[in-house]
Amino acid sequence: MVDFLQNWVYLTGSMALIGIGLYIVLTNTNIFRIIVGLNIIDSGTNLFIVTIAWHPKSVMPIYTATNNLVVNGHVIAADPLPQSLVLTAIVIGLGTTALALAIAVKIYQKYGTLDVRKIKEEDR
Amino acid sequence: MMSDTPEIVKKVFAIFVVGIFIVGFFVTFTQMPKGNEVNVNDTVSRFYVMKDVDQATQMLDKGTYFNKDMVPLRNDVPYTPITFGKSSNLEDGAANVVTSIVVDYRGFDTLGEVTVLFLAASGVMLVLHGEKRKVPKKKTEPSEIMYVGTRIAFAVIFLFGIYVFIHGHLTPGGGFPGGAIIASGILGLFLGRKGYSPNKAGLTVFESLSGMAYVIIGIIGLVAEKSFLANFLPTGTIGDLFSAGFIALIYIAIGMKVGSELSAVTNAMIVDTEED
Repeated sequence: MVDFLQNWVYLTGSMALIGIGLYIVLTNTNIFRIIVGLNIIDSGTNLFIVTIAWHPKSVMPIYTATNNLVVNGHVIAADPLPQSLVLTAIVIGLGTTALALAIAVKIYQKYGTLDVRKIKEEDR
Repeated sequence: MMSDTPEIVKKVFAIFVVGIFIVGFFVTFTQMPKGNEVNVNDTVSRFYVMKDVDQATQMLDKGTYFNKDMVPLRNDVPYTPITFGKSSNLEDGAANVVTSIVVDYRGFDTLGEVTVLFLAASGVMLVLHGEKRKVPKKKTEPSEIMYVGTRIAFAVIFLFGIYVFIHGHLTPGGGFPGGAIIASGILGLFLGRKGYSPNKAGLTVFESLSGMAYVIIGIIGLVAEKSFLANFLPTGTIGDLFSAGFIALIYIAIGMKVGSELSAVTNAMIVDTEED
C-alpha cells in the first residue's frame, strides 16, 4: 500500500476537495453555491482519476527529444488513458455548469430568489 | 417542514456524512491489494505509448509497473523503440500519446463529447434566448487604454489559441484548450468595449461547419479505411508538424467548434449593456 500511496498528497487533496464540495452541497440552500460545490466535487474527481494513474517516477506521456517513454523495455510513462478521460470530463463539466447557471438565472427571474426553501414555499 | 431544525445540527450532520465518506474511502483503499500485487499490467492503456496495439498486447504478460524489481517487457516480441524525430510510419504518429488516444483510438468518444458540449451550448442559448434584463448601468466606462489593450491582447490570444490546437499532437493542449483560449480572448473584448457583440450568425455558421467537418473526416475514414474515424492520411515522422495524419485536421475542427461555441455561450450569458 505504501508504494501505491506515494502520491498520497494528491490523493488526500482530491479527497479533501470532494469532501469540501459535499459539505457545501449539503449545507447550502442557495442554488448558485450548490453549483459551485458540484464544481469542486468535479475538480476533486478529476484530480483523483489523474492521480491513480500517476507515480513519482513516471514521466509525461509525450514524446519529446529528451523524454523517452520506454527505457530498457520498461514503460516509464504515466498511464495516458485516464488523462484523456479527464480531458473529456473537464469539457463536459464546463458544459453542464454553463447549463446549470443558465437555468439558475431563469429560476431567479421567476421566483426572485435562489434559496431552495423559499422557492419551495412559493410553490405551495 | 424541516426548516425549524437548528443550523448547527445540519452542519454537524453534513460533517458526519463527509467524514463517513472520507473514512470509508480510505478504508476501502487499504483493503485493496498492496501496491506490488495490483495487476495494473492487465490494462492495455499504458502500452499506447508503444504506438502499436497488437505488439503491445503480445508483450502484456510480463510487463511491470514501477516495481522495485522491474521485469522488462518480453524480449521475444520484436520491438523497436520509438525515437523522437526518427521513427516514421507508426500506427499513430502523434508525439502526444494522450492526443492519440483522444482523437485516434477513442475518436468516437470525442465525437460524443463534442456533441455533449454542443447540446449544453444549445441549451444555454435556448434558456437565455431573448433576454431583456434590466441591469444597472456600469459604474465606470471602459477607458481608452482598456479598449485598445484588449484589442491588442485579443490578437495575441487568438494566435496563441490557434497555435495550441494546431500543435495538439506535439505539445500539451489540443482542440479543447485552444478553443477555450480563443473564447477567453473574446471575453476580453466584452470587457474592453461597451456594447460589444460578436456576429452571432457568423458564430453559428462557423460552429456548424466545423462540427460537420469532424463528421465528414470520419466518413472519409469509413470510405477509405472501412472504419469510422479511421486515420486515412500517412502518419509521417513522429515530432514533425505534418505528422499524425488526420489528428491535426480533427483538432483544428474541434478548436474552431469549441471556440465559437464558448464564445456564443459567453455572449448569451453576458449581461446586455443596452442603454436604459
